Amino acid sequence: MSGTAASRDDGDLILALANVESAYGPIKAIRGVSLKVRRGEIVTVLGSNGAGKSTILKTISGILDPSRGSVTYKGENITGLDPSLIVRRGLSHVPEGREVFPLLSVRDNLLMGAYTRNDRDGVARDMEMAYAYFPILRERATQEAGLLSGGQQQMLAISRALMAAPDLMLLDEPSLGLSPKLTREIFEIVVRINRERGTTMLLVEQNANMALNVADHGYVLESGRIVLEDSCERLREKDDIKEFYLGVKDTGVRGERRWKKKKNWR
Amino acid sequence: MSNLWNLENLKPRMDVVVPGETVPAMFCNAVAMRKERILMRQKQLGIWHEWTWAQAAEAVREIGNGLLSLGLQAGDCASIQANTRVEWVLADIAILSAGGVCSGIYPTDAAAQVQYLCEDSRTRFLFVEDDEQLDKALEVRSRLPLLKKVIVFDPEGLRDFSDADVIDLAALRELGRIHAQAHPAALDERVAGCRAEDLAILVYTSGTTGRPKGAMHSHGGLVYTVQGLNRLVSQDESDERMCFLPLCHIAERMGGEYFALYTGTVLNFVENPETVPENVREIAPTVFTAVPRVWEKFYSAVAIAIRESGRIQQKTYAWSIGVGSRIAALALERKPVGTWLKLKFMLARWLALDNVRKTIGIHRARFLVTGAAPISPELVKWYLALGVPMGEVWGLTETCGASTYTPPDRIKPGMIGPACPYNEVKIDPATGEILVRGKNVFMGYLNLPEKTAETIDADGWVHTGDVGLVDADGYFKITDRMKDIIITAGGKNITPSELENDLKFSPYITDAVVVGDKRPYLVVIIMIDQENVEKFAQDNDIPFSNYASLTLAKEVQDLVWNEIERVNRNFARVEQIKKFFLLQTQLSAEDEELTPTMKLKRKLVEKKYAEAIDAMYR
Repeated sequence: MSGTAASRDDGDLILALANVESAYGPIKAIRGVSLKVRRGEIVTVLGSNGAGKSTILKTISGILDPSRGSVTYKGENITGLDPSLIVRRGLSHVPEGREVFPLLSVRDNLLMGAYTRNDRDGVARDMEMAYAYFPILRERATQEAGLLSGGQQQMLAISRALMAAPDLMLLDEPSLGLSPKLTREIFEIVVRINRERGTTMLLVEQNANMALNVADHGYVLESGRIVLEDSCERLREKDDIKEFYLGVKDTGVRGERRWKKKKNWR
Repeated sequence: MSNLWNLENLKPRMDVVVPGETVPAMFCNAVAMRKERILMRQKQLGIWHEWTWAQAAEAVREIGNGLLSLGLQAGDCASIQANTRVEWVLADIAILSAGGVCSGIYPTDAAAQVQYLCEDSRTRFLFVEDDEQLDKALEVRSRLPLLKKVIVFDPEGLRDFSDADVIDLAALRELGRIHAQAHPAALDERVAGCRAEDLAILVYTSGTTGRPKGAMHSHGGLVYTVQGLNRLVSQDESDERMCFLPLCHIAERMGGEYFALYTGTVLNFVENPETVPENVREIAPTVFTAVPRVWEKFYSAVAIAIRESGRIQQKTYAWSIGVGSRIAALALERKPVGTWLKLKFMLARWLALDNVRKTIGIHRARFLVTGAAPISPELVKWYLALGVPMGEVWGLTETCGASTYTPPDRIKPGMIGPACPYNEVKIDPATGEILVRGKNVFMGYLNLPEKTAETIDADGWVHTGDVGLVDADGYFKITDRMKDIIITAGGKNITPSELENDLKFSPYITDAVVVGDKRPYLVVIIMIDQENVEKFAQDNDIPFSNYASLTLAKEVQDLVWNEIERVNRNFARVEQIKKFFLLQTQLSAEDEELTPTMKLKRKLVEKKYAEAIDAMYR
């Protein structure tokens, strides 16, 4: 039985969303989302296209103002706050599709990430750290970012977010358009950053297998509502997750099955 | 008499509209009368497609001949496992025309149940809806040696699948065309050979305990009952009705399919179970039969919409429904309605009530019928206040559907009405049980002579298991199921359904099971209405993630408790509910806790949640 939602102790919460609704014009993208992220965790939000995953991240980082509900970060209400003010509080957003500055060099892209900081020593140290995580970026430091491959741009986007020395990173589909090998590499480093620096991660993914393997806790989003939440360990064992997110299904008597089971999210 | 609705529209019709002593004979005669009229309509990919009587007859001939070419003998059983759709009706009439026996299987049934039902009914031909249902049949067919062919209505996704024992409906019709050329009179001979006393259909009752039992109905019983139905409130070719409840269930089979075959009412099939409200608005049926759950849904959609609307709209609605209620109350007491009130009612209709009717889609409805489960009298009164007459019918699978009904000129909410003229109904003086006798009574349970003898006594009375009373006007009232009566530890007899029906009237409660037999007080297990409770949580900033967390939220628990308190006020102290428990999983028709008609199974729920129940007594 579930019931885990209430039993998960609130511990050291870094982020909490309560009944958040956000809309693009008349279209409601998320219709009442409540979720919690504890400090030091990797939390993932799974969902299909158009479920509202990116909208959640945009609402947290202040790009989108919710029409209802509240976002609490480190105990403070940051609902509707300007994105630049939110970044300064240590919350970085790695957007979907990388969005690096194509005409700036790799190095300048990284410095853009440190825009909010004025401790030059610290910035230099973090730059070294980024290079250590992704050595390829050091090699390409002077190249224009637009000339990097997709995987390298993703590394750059993550590094750029790291340069703000965040406490919480929002990762929007880091695996988008990447080969399975590159995806694995990037996820390995995401986990390392989390373990070594204690950076909390909120990860939005379509690659459910990968996300469930790296994350501690997961939420499943369907048409703007959360339908399921549990530890990733338990989520992986659930029939609906197996069938609809991990592509595991029994093929039935005919050896192929086209029809879909009804989801009941248990 | 009453000024609320037009009784001229609600007349019985005493003559026989379509002759015929068996279902196929009746169908043939009806086809000859109605050829190019529309019989059915079904929405596919957003467009309503029409089936005329002639087209349906052609399809029935081809399917029937197809079955003959595959070797169906008179008396062989063919089963249909599909949602309610046009092909269900076509296959049903074709099976009966070929002299076969038709049995329905719920599409929500699992493979093991399919096996049991096919074994019990000795099914030789199985019609399945699509690849999903086909997979169930394939899983168990090795254990069904009698099964000759599986016929698939919709072969989508099966292009690469080939199996000697599986064909699709188009292929069966092709076989039928070929067979008809060689033996043009074969099907007609079968139709002519069919006798009124022959077994026609099997309707399996979803036993709450043990295996389902196959109730046998003869052609004569079915025809007798549909003719009787038209003598309650008649309908004809100008009427439109929705066909959306499971056809395996006696209510839609009789009140929907067979009644329409007899009267010519157009059957409108919904796209799928989720689109019912939308499809109802599109069709605006003139006669509408549904189960209480559907009426509750319509009501709570309106209740929620009102709660969301502006102050002025709320006031207008409240005033209008108030006027409607007053006029309905006078009509129920058969008292004259003053001109002033009539004028106010016209204004109320113009301001609000007509719009409410339109939002539901009942603005053309001559009358509504509720049945198959107990309904809250308050809910009936609400529909009456809108100015739409709502009648109640009561009956069983074993009595071929309706055995009592409330005549539109004398509705008494809370009572199931007098006996339908075509059968006798009385109360067993010893036990209080309601007994029914008539030609509509079933032939017995298939393969279960002892159970049959337990149900039909030597004088032909069906023991319904419902306990009731009868008033001076001959109106019956169900007080409870015999098995369900609760006797608390304090010795007080309590009828749980009264409490449960009042609880279900709340937009936040879908179903409830009151427990308390041999216990010090009453407790209740509740299934919440997910949509409405989610909306409540969202509007009141109550954080929740999944269904379970919703049921555990304190505010939701308080909300439900308030609903219970509201109901408790109508009952004496010993009859009040003291504690409750919300089911934490969202149940669907596939779950064992629910009947195919989405009612909680009392015994199973009591057993499965025994621990939670015990906890409420600690």
